[in-house]
Amino acid sequence: MKENRVWLVIRYILLIIASLVVCFPILYSLLISLETSEHVSTYPPQLWPHPFHFASYAEALQAAPLGRFLLNSFIMSAIIVCGQIVTSLLAAYAFVYLRFRGRGVLFLVFLATMMIPTEVTMIPNYMTIRSLGWLDSFAGLTVPFLANAFGIFLLRQYLLQLPYELFEAAKMDGAGHWRFLISVVVPLSRPILATLAVYVFLQSWNMYLWPLLTTNSTSMRTVQVGLGMLQNQDALSWNLTMAGVVIISLPTLILLFFAQKHLVKGLTAGAVKG
Amino acid sequence: MQTAATKTTMPVPPRRHMKEMVAFLQASPFLLPALLLFTVFFFYPIVKVVYLSLYLTNSKGVAKHFVGMQQYVELFTSPDFIQSLRVTLEFVLLTVIPGVFIALLLALLLEKQIRGLSVFQTILFSPISMSVAAVSTIGLMAFNPSVSLLNWILSNLFGIPNINWLNGPWTALLAISIVTIWMNLGFSTIVLLGALRNVSQELYDSARVDGVNALQRLYYITLPSISPTLFFVFVVSMIGSFQTFGQVNILTQGGPAGSTNLVVYSIYRNAFFNFQYGLASAQAVVLFLIVLVLTLLQFLVVERRVHYS
Amino acid sequence: MERNQNASRRPWIRKTAMWTVAASFGLTALLAGCGGGNTGSDENAAGGGGGANNGVIELKLWHAMGGVPGQALQHIVDDFNKSQSKIHVTAVYQGQYDDEFNKWKATQGQGGKDGPNIMQVYDIGTKFMIDSQDIVPMQDFIDQSHFDISQLEPNILGYYSVGGKLYSMPFNSSQPVLYYNKDMFKDAGIAEPPKTYDDVLADAKKLTKKGPDGKVAVYGIGLATYGWFFEQMLATQGADYVDHDNGRTGTATQAVFNGPEGLKIVNWWKSLYDAGVDLNLGPVTSQTQNAFLAGKCAMIIDSSGVYGNLVKGAKGKFEVGIGPLPRPAGATGGTIIGGGSLWITKDQPKAQQDAAWEFVKFAASPQEQAYWTETTGYFPITKAVYDDPGFKDWLKQYPDFQVAVDQLHSSKLTYATQGGLMGVFPQARQTVQDMLQAVLLGKQQPQPALDDAAKKVTDAIKNYNLTVA
Repeated sequence: MKENRVWLVIRYILLIIASLVVCFPILYSLLISLETSEHVSTYPPQLWPHPFHFASYAEALQAAPLGRFLLNSFIMSAIIVCGQIVTSLLAAYAFVYLRFRGRGVLFLVFLATMMIPTEVTMIPNYMTIRSLGWLDSFAGLTVPFLANAFGIFLLRQYLLQLPYELFEAAKMDGAGHWRFLISVVVPLSRPILATLAVYVFLQSWNMYLWPLLTTNSTSMRTVQVGLGMLQNQDALSWNLTMAGVVIISLPTLILLFFAQKHLVKGLTAGAVKG
Repeated sequence: MQTAATKTTMPVPPRRHMKEMVAFLQASPFLLPALLLFTVFFFYPIVKVVYLSLYLTNSKGVAKHFVGMQQYVELFTSPDFIQSLRVTLEFVLLTVIPGVFIALLLALLLEKQIRGLSVFQTILFSPISMSVAAVSTIGLMAFNPSVSLLNWILSNLFGIPNINWLNGPWTALLAISIVTIWMNLGFSTIVLLGALRNVSQELYDSARVDGVNALQRLYYITLPSISPTLFFVFVVSMIGSFQTFGQVNILTQGGPAGSTNLVVYSIYRNAFFNFQYGLASAQAVVLFLIVLVLTLLQFLVVERRVHYS
Repeated sequence: MERNQNASRRPWIRKTAMWTVAASFGLTALLAGCGGGNTGSDENAAGGGGGANNGVIELKLWHAMGGVPGQALQHIVDDFNKSQSKIHVTAVYQGQYDDEFNKWKATQGQGGKDGPNIMQVYDIGTKFMIDSQDIVPMQDFIDQSHFDISQLEPNILGYYSVGGKLYSMPFNSSQPVLYYNKDMFKDAGIAEPPKTYDDVLADAKKLTKKGPDGKVAVYGIGLATYGWFFEQMLATQGADYVDHDNGRTGTATQAVFNGPEGLKIVNWWKSLYDAGVDLNLGPVTSQTQNAFLAGKCAMIIDSSGVYGNLVKGAKGKFEVGIGPLPRPAGATGGTIIGGGSLWITKDQPKAQQDAAWEFVKFAASPQEQAYWTETTGYFPITKAVYDDPGFKDWLKQYPDFQVAVDQLHSSKLTYATQGGLMGVFPQARQTVQDMLQAVLLGKQQPQPALDDAAKKVTDAIKNYNLTVA
């Protein structure tokens, strides 16, 4: 018992150290955003702003319609999340529970799509979106991302860990693939689907080049483009930029805070193998 | 690869074709949505990229002169590209192995239900919510030796002399690696933690009876049990590292003297600034093949040993 | 068993999901409320495709100005829209110069549907824009409307004029100058900012201070390895960057910056670094600005456009002074204008082109230019601004800015100070930056490094010319 307590203390100490290291950049940006422009550039660096200077936030909101951008980012990310959940789940299901010729090869072909840098496919895809007449619309922002090999890969790995007996039992009950998918696989995969949803949401939220390329009006822009609008290329205003960083990161941090509980409970329910 | 699906036996030969048709028809509604999207937004661009790699392109990226394999030859005789490949491989090693290792440690720390866990979890997952642009902008500040809080802490707490991070050939790559590891940490930790929490309690219980110590338990029970997830995290991190771009673009622009000129960054420069879309396409094809071979190797060598339930 | 577990899990999942959505929406709405004021009424226009409705001609202006210059540009656009009722301009930020430029390349050839009517392009994109043949030279409009350009700064027009034709209207214009920390200069007993390379080295040695640990605490100078500075330093020696008179009398075919003038620059740079008086923070100038403001270096070279920012950042810490860009003793050349200009695109009806010209004229007017300079620190492009009483007051407030103005006016317009012209300038600049870093890090000696860089740029020019022809 005594040994357990020692381990617990060590665990806490390590967790605190890790937390400090990991959240250092975020705290750092928060502190800088609260400095005045004279105090940003000093050495030794000023750790604690005095007094707290909130003007940078007002200025950031003034410099770019960040509210509108946040809304756009939210809608765009939400659409992509829904699309990817559906396409990934269906494909992953096929790769695990259906047998057809060329399954292994097809999986690798799917996987290969992950290995192409987006910088390379961007221009051809831009042309495609343009010829579809989807520039400056949510369709253009989201459709190319509705399927992603990453999600398929993640779900496949997860489904492979589920006991195969479940499938056989369902078959004995006379359930077809669709019923098995909806009534057994979906409920059991909820934690991993949540993980995927959060991941995809954040990835979409953080896209920069694609939204910039395919939207033409300020009213269709997303937050990452908005961050650029705060930056004067020749003379960076650090406090203003960091205020922008905090504003655009805040919604995702909040999302994570709530989703985190969700994820954890989903994961600890131990539904998979009890 | 002992997957669950192979457990059922294949049907008898005569009606094989018929059966295959049925199986294919059964699978198609599941696969079609993804397949359709991939065809339009991935396979078509790849074909186009391969095509362009055989041509000299004009400043707008339109194929002008057929040159065959010439640009590939040019690439492999160019010291800049060789350096770029070397730097990329170094970078992948510097980020993937430590990255997964640290994420595993964090996940092990978070595994046990203790007080305040959700606070620690939120903090340790938080990097996932930051964008490359945001993190790199913070990096500009944190790696500037004249205003860096990071350097100040390093020198005052650990006595490490002031490092000019982004302007030493070795430290610049290290700085980019640190940023990359940090950014990937949140996701890897979440996925690994999920896997850890799903390891069967019965296995642990029986181990306790056998008097196994913590390290043995980790090695003989935990790691094999989470090996599919571990494998997944490795493959995804590797592919992600090969595609790193934003950090380089904002923090070092490939410098100093090409020491952080990762292949994707060099593709970007060639395609968008140097008006050499054809050459950039050739680079993209080479990168694609490298990543493909490495991934296939991982599947052939590693997934065999990965333990699925 | 499974089902029961799921049923018991469902309520909290719903609850958290709802919370998450509610929180995100709430926050979004909150921010939308705060920032909504400036979204403006321009939005409907932007999506409209730049056509005419109700007799009002809608124009799209693409630009790359973030932060303060971005807001100042919006102000000029608003002024223009208020000044008349026939034309309505919508300014759209399209990312930094490079992003904007690339996006423009991708939108070419679709009847102006998705592209801009007016486009701000950086200086080094000039040749590419001309070669693209997707633009209408500004000169056509000037001739057509008999616009008087005698009031415009000849030294600024020089850059954007090719073969006697003005291709674009200069907009944001700047030159590099030497900024120095007046307090540090006083402490070191130096009265004047250094003018020559030797002076800089000597002063930088005096200004460099070591801390108690024997490490350098304050560097004499923080010189960003920015390719633009190298281009400028060639011009101060009257040397060209590429052949055919800097690409001004014919299409450039090779880089010539590896002559004795180029070597002088690189040798000097290396001597500063080797003497331990140069703080090398790479090519990004915001890094050296940061060091300068933190008092880690006594001098920096940077664009005249960042003066206002430096003064603001140094407030309460030290006084910022400006000196001219240093040069080798006896060099008699001048400096090149840098920044960006406005282009009118070809892919649009004549009525829209003419409307675009109206806006360009408006942006170049003394009143708007005075506002522009006072807000951003970029040079006014018209000399009439110097007679503006408001501007005179502004100059009194920032007397050191006069040094930058004098440098601009004293430059004699030659092929060297007009600036090099080639399609692959962005690549050339990057190549030179890599070369400077390689020399400073001791990977290469100056002359071989210069020769290598020149060869790379020449190859790129050849490739470019092959595909343009």
